[in-house]
Amino acid sequence: MAARIPAEERLTNLVVALMATEIGLTKQQILDNVSGYRQRAEAGTRSDALEKMFERDKEELRSLGVPIETIGDAADPNDLREARYRIPQAEYDLPSDIEFSPAELAVLQLAGSVWSAESVSGDAQSGVRKIRALGIDGDEPIIGFAPRITARDAAFSPLQDAIERCKVVAFEYLKPGEDAPRRRRIRPLALVDYEARWHVFGVDVDAEGDRTFLLSRIVGDVRVSSQSFDPALRDGAGDRALAGLALVASENSALLEITPGTEAALRLGRRATSAAQGINVPFVDLHILADELASYGPEVRVVEPAPLREAVISRLRAVVDIHTDVEEAK
Amino acid sequence: MSTKSKPLLAADRVRLYLTLVPYLLEHGQVSLEEAAAEFGVTPHEMRGMVEKLTVIGLPGEAGYWQQPQEMFDINWDLLDLEDVIEITNDVALRRVPRFTAREAAALLAGLQMVAAVPAVSDSGLVAGLISKLSRGAADAPADVVVAPSAVDEVREAVARGLHEGVAIAFTYQAPDAAPTTRTVDPMQILITNGQWYLQGWCHLRQAMRTFHLDRVSAPTLTEIPITHGGDQVPEAFAGLDDERAVTVRVAERIAPLLSGFVPTGAADVIGGSVTTQLHLADPRGIKRLAARFGGAMEVLEPGVARSATRDWAASGLALYRQPEAEV
Repeated sequence: MAARIPAEERLTNLVVALMATEIGLTKQQILDNVSGYRQRAEAGTRSDALEKMFERDKEELRSLGVPIETIGDAADPNDLREARYRIPQAEYDLPSDIEFSPAELAVLQLAGSVWSAESVSGDAQSGVRKIRALGIDGDEPIIGFAPRITARDAAFSPLQDAIERCKVVAFEYLKPGEDAPRRRRIRPLALVDYEARWHVFGVDVDAEGDRTFLLSRIVGDVRVSSQSFDPALRDGAGDRALAGLALVASENSALLEITPGTEAALRLGRRATSAAQGINVPFVDLHILADELASYGPEVRVVEPAPLREAVISRLRAVVDIHTDVEEAK
Repeated sequence: MSTKSKPLLAADRVRLYLTLVPYLLEHGQVSLEEAAAEFGVTPHEMRGMVEKLTVIGLPGEAGYWQQPQEMFDINWDLLDLEDVIEITNDVALRRVPRFTAREAAALLAGLQMVAAVPAVSDSGLVAGLISKLSRGAADAPADVVVAPSAVDEVREAVARGLHEGVAIAFTYQAPDAAPTTRTVDPMQILITNGQWYLQGWCHLRQAMRTFHLDRVSAPTLTEIPITHGGDQVPEAFAGLDDERAVTVRVAERIAPLLSGFVPTGAADVIGGSVTTQLHLADPRGIKRLAARFGGAMEVLEPGVARSATRDWAASGLALYRQPEAEV
């Protein structure tokens, strides 16, 4: 039995082989000749198993950004039996007219350092490494600033994957105040960090309208379906999402009374406009603002809207209840 | 560069090769240690990767081995004797590949985040970088957007003090305390969860402190050159010596929200709820966090923290009580 060739060796050999060919290689040529497949074929691995392996390898390489072109039969493009495969150099290479200055690299190194999530951080570092591999050394690092982005919602990665591949997703979404989560199906278009919370912006398939969801309220797994949507929907989606959130904030305002000189006055005052009696604070999500307002205890009183006032009251009551010991109870 | 190491998957190794080869060709001779640091792997792993490079090559013809010039080769003596890597024959992978959609998205979002940093916004480089990253990506990256945060007068002043290497004086209004006037050697500005913090040496406390910039007012730059600039910046919100533990219980599903406070591994999970300890200078300060959780967090110990939490919420609730006359 031939020594087992590790997957990375087979995959890298496949990249080299597909880059070296102008006219492309057929599947049979690849399986017979590329090291990693060849040895398995010689050891008697069935050809359908090898073909499956080749299909998986192609997908793996595509996910690494390696463009694999399939050149089909000109007469019948759907007939892939005699298809040839190649990696067009022009689509593989970082375009040579894209250059990075040392100052730009320093900015990108700071940008790449912000992620605390390991997988995203790895992607950012890998991108920076490609620029450094061009032979560019950055300026002195920008020191004194430590910006951090967290993305610990489990839904983040599958949603990003679905956006990249333009696939409809489904998930259970639990709105505060509702007893059970509801299943939502959306065409996900953008991930948005707004007020330090991740949101997914997309088109709700059932409601046929733009919607924004908080990732922290997604219950359980995000299921990525095989159903595709038009990639053109993604154009400018991030800007539309931000504009949508800003519109919501402009339409929702809380009238609050605050005690001067307190934490509430400091924190809320920064984003408030003054009103005749108190301050107006815009908000996008009533429950998130209610959480914050509850934390200020007696430093703030909600005048309106009524649902916000009720939400704060019920939070404070729950805090009192859970901290009231039985013997001293009512 | 990252020095952390975890086991590499096959895909990670392929990705590494695609950048390692052009990196080595560009740099000529590179020490094992330097290359390992650059790629975030151990020198041992890097040696293995480089040795394995020599079995990569053009496809052979059935029945024949590849010719030597069809395979990658390295300077073995240099590697074995001096721990230095040099590629002596290359067959492909000469050019740096495009960014993957993920790489571009991670950097694009990071750029939006750092755009608020004065050293970056002043450089005027962000817009050009966004276009280069987008154009250099193999596939269209997913829109990962970070809403911009405003830079106010306080943030600007603190950044200027940091840049000029002088102490900053300001009024600090900590929660539940009288305002104090502080003079601080700025060391780092931490931006996390949309909040800005100044970390530095506090002349009043004669110790490292972290200041929430929302609580800072009337900042002025002093002419006192900083004396603690080269010190190790403390872990954000690192425990102070005089802090005390507060024991709380939360539902397991919301426990991740405490990750900024709790040292990992310090939690006990029983029946779907998590009991853990948070550290605060004043245990009574827990009342604000507990109230934010609206009953989903129970303060257990010490008693003074528990009663402070109850009283805090009760006095908040009292604001909404209808006057007797209206009943």
